[in-house]
Amino acid sequence: MSTISIKEPSVVIREKRLGTINAFTGSASQIVEKSAKGELHDCKRKFSQCLGCNQQQAFCQLAMIRDAVVINHAPIGCSGEFADFNFTYRIEQTKRNLPAALGRYYSTNILEKDTVFGAAKKLEETIRLAYEREHPNAIFVTTSCASGIIGEDIEAVVEAASKELGIPVATCNCEGFRSKIWTTGFDAAYHTVLRGIVKPAEKKTNKVNIINFWGSHVFDDIVRRFGYEPQYIIPFSTVEELSHVSEAAASIHICPSLSTYMGAGLNQLHGVPEVLVPPAYGVAGTDRWLRAFGKLVGKEEIAEEIIKEGHEKYLPEIEKLKERFKGKRAYVTAGAAHGQALITLLGELGMEVVGAAVFHHDPVYDSGDDKLDILGQAVKNYGDVPDYRVCNKQACELVNALNRIKPDLILARHGGMTLWGAKFGIPSLLIGDEQFGIGYKGALNYARRIDDALDSIEFIKNYSKHASNPYTKWWFEQDPGYFQGDGSGRGCARGNGGI
Amino acid sequence: MRQIAIYGKGGIGKSTTTQNLTAGLAELGKKIMVVGCDPKADSTRLLLNGLAQRTVLDTLREEGEVDDLSQIERVGFGGIRCVESGGPEPGVGCAGRGIITSIGMLEDLGAYTDDLDYVFYDVLGDVVCGGFAMPIREGKAKEIYIVASGEMMALYAANNICKGIQKYALKGGVRLGGIICNSRKVDRENELLREFAKELGSQLIYFVPRDNEVQRAEIKKKTVIDHDPNHPQAQEYRNLALAIENNTQFVIPKPMTQERLEEILIEFGLMDSIKDNYHI
Repeated sequence: MSTISIKEPSVVIREKRLGTINAFTGSASQIVEKSAKGELHDCKRKFSQCLGCNQQQAFCQLAMIRDAVVINHAPIGCSGEFADFNFTYRIEQTKRNLPAALGRYYSTNILEKDTVFGAAKKLEETIRLAYEREHPNAIFVTTSCASGIIGEDIEAVVEAASKELGIPVATCNCEGFRSKIWTTGFDAAYHTVLRGIVKPAEKKTNKVNIINFWGSHVFDDIVRRFGYEPQYIIPFSTVEELSHVSEAAASIHICPSLSTYMGAGLNQLHGVPEVLVPPAYGVAGTDRWLRAFGKLVGKEEIAEEIIKEGHEKYLPEIEKLKERFKGKRAYVTAGAAHGQALITLLGELGMEVVGAAVFHHDPVYDSGDDKLDILGQAVKNYGDVPDYRVCNKQACELVNALNRIKPDLILARHGGMTLWGAKFGIPSLLIGDEQFGIGYKGALNYARRIDDALDSIEFIKNYSKHASNPYTKWWFEQDPGYFQGDGSGRGCARGNGGI
Repeated sequence: MRQIAIYGKGGIGKSTTTQNLTAGLAELGKKIMVVGCDPKADSTRLLLNGLAQRTVLDTLREEGEVDDLSQIERVGFGGIRCVESGGPEPGVGCAGRGIITSIGMLEDLGAYTDDLDYVFYDVLGDVVCGGFAMPIREGKAKEIYIVASGEMMALYAANNICKGIQKYALKGGVRLGGIICNSRKVDRENELLREFAKELGSQLIYFVPRDNEVQRAEIKKKTVIDHDPNHPQAQEYRNLALAIENNTQFVIPKPMTQERLEEILIEFGLMDSIKDNYHI
């Protein structure tokens, strides 16, 4: 278990806190075993085709708060994804019946001169300007490699600004080079919210924190049935709402990769208990989750009622569809915990998961509770995944693995991944909403979509005949993990995960 | 045009040596530019008879941009053109990046005119970061001289600087022209420096003896040649200028291991045992 301390302005990076890695070749059971024994070590890459910056993960949370401003203290290039975040922000507001307001994102535009003389003054001016224009209820200052290298004293600026403006002005230390695990950016955002926004609980409420991205509100009915109110955080929350999340009765994880730090932080600092079982994916997973939640809130009988109703309502159709999936081999590519949840879901639907390329691996979560080990439970319940890769969006690795495995179906959560399936003539399904697969209905949702995807086989096969592949024959002759390890071409020892 | 960078431990006398030796070169009729690459901006004080000059970075900070060389360049003793890079306020920003910005600006403003025989870069203490290595990167300064003395820390610094030179020598063509001893009257200093330079594969290009005339001239904000052209110390600097003018020995240095450096110090009897006498 990691101890969450908000005394320091910076979050401890995931590599140090959890021993997180982003390169591994082996099987799911091997990575589960190594993680449990604390023997997992990262396998370096000699070559990376692309990398993510943890600053973007910090934005993706802070930029969605309804009445806050984000100021990126960075050269303008670091703000390249503002447009994407603004797109999501606007679309998701309309889905929530909120007026489609623009995101309030600013950049201090650190120039060469600013790196020489320091850009603290520019930051002060930007904070003031943003406040005058937007009248936000909080301002978050995200840091960058440039501000980090020149050692900007941002804490001094935000403290003074906070006093001057009378609203929380908080730093989010998310310099890209701090961590090679991009999900450290989520933790940085949560650290900032825990440190600068969340107040000690004055009372306890019947709210339940659902720590999520901007998924559909599938928990509404479930949580209300238990007599609680769902509170989806932190995207589309207000600063005021966030300041009271300490008063909630419990926290729910939809994806521990995202929310491990926030959940543990609220637990350790404010006594908000977490539901510490894998998220409710698949029928068995949903049964287990409902029982755990029922137990946590002392209403186990309601959990049993929901389970009974859910089975009656959804199982017949799920069982019917499962027949059609028999003998089908599936491949998963997604973020770590969600990828593992999809493995669970596919196992539940009777498919054989033959491979997975997930983006990182947390051997343990901040709660330190191994009951949250989604992959461990998936392996135990549905069998091993023989080709399990921790592959941080290295398309070349994924494509090479797909070429060897040739599954019947690919399941992805991120844009740009399913096209590789199409090129190989493999039906592929991209679902970005993590909550789409939650609960009994979620299992049926997925089953239906998978059935549709598998029906597209003729189209996909035809399509693949006309598709070109940019990778060379040489590359397909190499092991997919060729660039992992010391660059000798031998990769890391299979399942060893380190060199 | 010979572009020369002078490096050495902080306080060893780089600026004093650079200015006195450029005064000697100016007397030989050479056209020279001195670029101070130290945030303290005191590399041209003796040539300009005072610290009246505005640095490149001061100008940039106050005026937003530098349009003309005349804003940042002053002409001092013997027609020597003087520029100070300067730096940010202490504790703010990045001085190393400031050097990179300044040198880039000098190039943009056309400071490196064809009539120059020499450009000297007087660089802050050790090569603390990439910015301070700028003069020896990208084919700027091709010749380096390291100012050192017989004191242990000066030799440590010199050896470290050689590691930097070696790194850039392999790709940028920079070479070590020699070690200049700015004497601190340490016992057997000349022999020690000769041996040290030899071990590096270089030479002790000149031994500048210690003389209080240097300090007297400094108080008057002058080089020795300017202050008292007939003083024997003025001749020493003229000799140093000539040695550099006629130098033909440019090498890729072979920096020593810490152990070897300590062996040399013991060999020259500076101390019986480093451990017994080690203090900073």
